[in-house]
Amino acid sequence: MDTISFTLLLIASSVIAIVIATLYSLVLPGIERKVQARIQQRIGPPILTPGFWSVIKFTYKEKVEPIAQMPRLYKCSVYLGVVVVAFLLLFSTPYWWAVLSWGSILGIVGLLKIEEVIYVFMGSQSQSILSTSMPMPDLAKGSKHIGTRREFVEQHSAERAIKMMAIGSLPIYLALIVPFVVGKSILISDVVSFQNPAFFSAPWYGLPLPSHPILFTVPGFLATIPFFLGYTILLNEKPFSILKAKIDVIEGGVLEYASTLRAAYYVMRNLLLFALSSIFVTLFIGIPFDPFTPFVFLLNMLLSIILPVCLAVLVAFSPILTFRQIYPVAIGLSAIGVLAMILAVSI
Amino acid sequence: MASQNPVKQKEVVEIEKELSFGPIHPALLEPYRIRLFVNDEYVEDCELTVNVAYRGIEKLFEGLPIERALVIAEKVCGICSNVHAFNAVRVIEGGLNIEVPTRASYIRVLVHEIQRMTSHLLFFGHAFEVLGHETFAMRSFLLRETFMDLMAYIGGNRVMASVPIIGGIRPRADLTEPLKKTILSRLDEFEDKYTDYVNRIMADPMVMSRLTGVGLLSKDEAIKWYATGPTGRASGWDFDLRRDMKEYKPFDFKVIVLNEGDNKARVVARALEIFESIKIMRQVVKNLPEGPVVNRQWIAGKMDYTIAYIETYRGELMHSYGLDEHGLIRNYKIRTPTITNLAAMEQACIGDHVTDAMVTIASCDPCLTCCTRAEVVEKGRSRVMTDQEVVRNYGWRH
Repeated sequence: MDTISFTLLLIASSVIAIVIATLYSLVLPGIERKVQARIQQRIGPPILTPGFWSVIKFTYKEKVEPIAQMPRLYKCSVYLGVVVVAFLLLFSTPYWWAVLSWGSILGIVGLLKIEEVIYVFMGSQSQSILSTSMPMPDLAKGSKHIGTRREFVEQHSAERAIKMMAIGSLPIYLALIVPFVVGKSILISDVVSFQNPAFFSAPWYGLPLPSHPILFTVPGFLATIPFFLGYTILLNEKPFSILKAKIDVIEGGVLEYASTLRAAYYVMRNLLLFALSSIFVTLFIGIPFDPFTPFVFLLNMLLSIILPVCLAVLVAFSPILTFRQIYPVAIGLSAIGVLAMILAVSI
Repeated sequence: MASQNPVKQKEVVEIEKELSFGPIHPALLEPYRIRLFVNDEYVEDCELTVNVAYRGIEKLFEGLPIERALVIAEKVCGICSNVHAFNAVRVIEGGLNIEVPTRASYIRVLVHEIQRMTSHLLFFGHAFEVLGHETFAMRSFLLRETFMDLMAYIGGNRVMASVPIIGGIRPRADLTEPLKKTILSRLDEFEDKYTDYVNRIMADPMVMSRLTGVGLLSKDEAIKWYATGPTGRASGWDFDLRRDMKEYKPFDFKVIVLNEGDNKARVVARALEIFESIKIMRQVVKNLPEGPVVNRQWIAGKMDYTIAYIETYRGELMHSYGLDEHGLIRNYKIRTPTITNLAAMEQACIGDHVTDAMVTIASCDPCLTCCTRAEVVEKGRSRVMTDQEVVRNYGWRH
């Protein structure tokens, strides 16, 4: 295949993948909410409301300028987040595996780190009226500790984001390494061909199924545990939603996003929900998100519902954990990840 | 000489920063301000500011005939409406020696305990919402429906049932035989579901890890900072006014006292109190004497300033007023349990993680709007201040 044809197919597959993934990802929050509601003996919202319609609604809302130290940077952060997550999604589309490091674990880890850093940017920028700047006679005579540095709740959320980057996200990175250890390569194509050798030779209308899915091996199963909980951590969902604990830091760094920016944030969050799930299906089951192999493409989308549904169940049954619990949990999960890696060497 | 006081002395610590929340905050049920002085994530000191929703409700009572005042007393609080009406009538009944028929007294206790259930179950809903556990919160609200229904069956309204009146209860709130059967069957049904609910909570390791050993308040601190109600009893302070109330003499119940003094103890204390309330309610219904439900043989006249205390759901509640020679109210004063629990809440937060501190405050079950009244007496005349006036007169330090 010459360079021009490859480039055209690359662009076409990217556009198709991103458009379909974005639309599909907007349905997932509705499914999550339905599952949670059923557990709580409620009916829950219509499937399309929490994802699709809320994005549409926020797009048409009156534009509200965020209160931030550097509003342009703050506004750019969310769009940067959308771009980063969109690129992350492309890791599960085979055409990108031939482009520089997009085909390896290095790219996945790098982009996930950028996504985590974005929360620090957002938190350090946002300055909503809901905390320090609320007009209250805090500094009246007789009040405690006058002169202490006063911090916005979003800034506190940014500090929590740094802690989560340091330890909270370690399990998912360790879990991500396991399929590559099993495949004895850092390339995604090798991991997929190890599990699903027929995929690269199958016709466009075929449905090559994996013969050795890593998920059904002992290290693969063990790695799934830290991957799933790491997925929860990266999505800032309960029990690891300390960055956006409603009771204190409210929404954290994304608090000041309104109208279009809020819609963009929802797109970013929902796309990440799907992208990580799709990457899991690609790396642990061997079914990539290939727009030019329609049945494989659909199967990937179908299997990508599993993680969001499990997430919804976990969210329904969990309180928010604080760092008193998160540190030991992250260490324990990391230990499981390391164990899975050691076992993976023997396969 | 070193202090011999067993209550821990406050150490002087350097504060890294201040985090402030409210009074407008999506997670606060009522408008109040929480200022946490923290190092990293740990709370070194706490300041709670109430009085941001002035209502001046005591001022409204001034000069009203007693019957009209009772309508207002019930509206002091939405959660514990009955107890305010109940205690308001206890003041005049004590002051003018008005006898209350036994049957009416039993039904008053029944409604009081029903509202204790709604209050405690609302507490679970709020506490688990603060904890982030929506499912337990939702379940609690579902369970609460039993008692909201019973309130409506007895009083005709789910929230403002208006059962107590001076000298007894409203005749429409008298219990009929079918209603007695309904109450007993609903209690049985509730008890099974509620036992499962409590067992589920106690068996949940994540929830217990958030509650155990957090928000510690020792018995000495509880007494020093005037903690009352389940908040004090969860710290080992064995005090419940119901033991001394004549209305509760016919009933057998246990006062729940726990020694741990942490958030778990405050939740468990309320959870166990619900079982005791069920016991009381069954005794009321089964042993309800026959007879009239109201004594109309009284005339409102001059009454000295009289005080009545009652054990409400959050602790000790005081109502007091006097009547002039025309039977009009003078100097109505209310002290809700949250007022006395405020200092204990500030104290219990210290040493907690920021997110845990919010759970600690919620675990003391604050009900702030009904305790926020600012009345200033100047030159013999009293008036209620607005928030703008407070800021203008007392100023901010710039």
